[in-house]
Amino acid sequence: MKRVTRDIDPRDAQDLLERVPRACIAFTSDIGPVSQPVVLVWQTDHYFVGIPGNADHKPEFGNEVVLLVDEGVQFFDLRAIYIRGKAISIEVPAGEPAGRIWFDVVPTKMVAWDYGMLREVEDEN
Amino acid sequence: MKIDDPTVLDILRRSMVARIATLSRNGRPSINPLYFVASDGHLWLGTSDWTLAARNVTADSRVSILFNVEKDPTEQRVLRISGRANVRTDQEIIRSYNICVARKYILTPAGIINALAHLRQIPLKLTYNAQGSEKGQACVIDILPERAEFLYNQSAGNLA
Repeated sequence: MKRVTRDIDPRDAQDLLERVPRACIAFTSDIGPVSQPVVLVWQTDHYFVGIPGNADHKPEFGNEVVLLVDEGVQFFDLRAIYIRGKAISIEVPAGEPAGRIWFDVVPTKMVAWDYGMLREVEDEN
Repeated sequence: MKIDDPTVLDILRRSMVARIATLSRNGRPSINPLYFVASDGHLWLGTSDWTLAARNVTADSRVSILFNVEKDPTEQRVLRISGRANVRTDQEIIRSYNICVARKYILTPAGIINALAHLRQIPLKLTYNAQGSEKGQACVIDILPERAEFLYNQSAGNLA
């Protein structure tokens, strides 16, 4: 039995982490879910995320955040990498300006998709 | 900022992908990119009722959505809209949403070029959509915006 999937190995979406076309996070706050554009600095297994120091809401360190880096508008151009993890406070990464608070997203789950790579795979279910 | 502010409407008119943050029943966050259209003061995001975004909205109606102007790299503003949402599966809204989406994304020069460039994958897209239909119903996340604010594209080095 086969099925069609959009899913790809996150390593094949590595270019998104290098180019960072659009990056944002979601986290839980006292007012509900918060979405926030971020700056992302990727270094091998580290996903350093910066948000403005004066942002109305900030993720609590140690809590769960989701980092989304995506690109594309037309269907077959849509690609993304989705990283769920814990936000761990860090110092300002070398070479980055002050004025932001920074944290490392320590992944607990990572998925990626690319609608331009739709293909049939064996259905393991 | 009011939802009907001309600057807000301008970004919504030019934006193509909504990134919607939601919470699960247990309060866990998620964020997903979805196509959207604006209709009579509401925002409609299309998905299926089995997706995480739809299930989360059913559990907690609060949402926070980001809108970029993808086609204009000089536009550094990012619109954030907060509001309340519900998941609708009635045929009236599904039909209206599909018509709006066809006009906005599919029956456009860019949409046609994209489809023509991936002709061999069209059957896979149809199968992929059919697989989704087997899991559940198409739905529209119907959002009533409550608050709008401008943030800035952090990748561009702004600090706001």
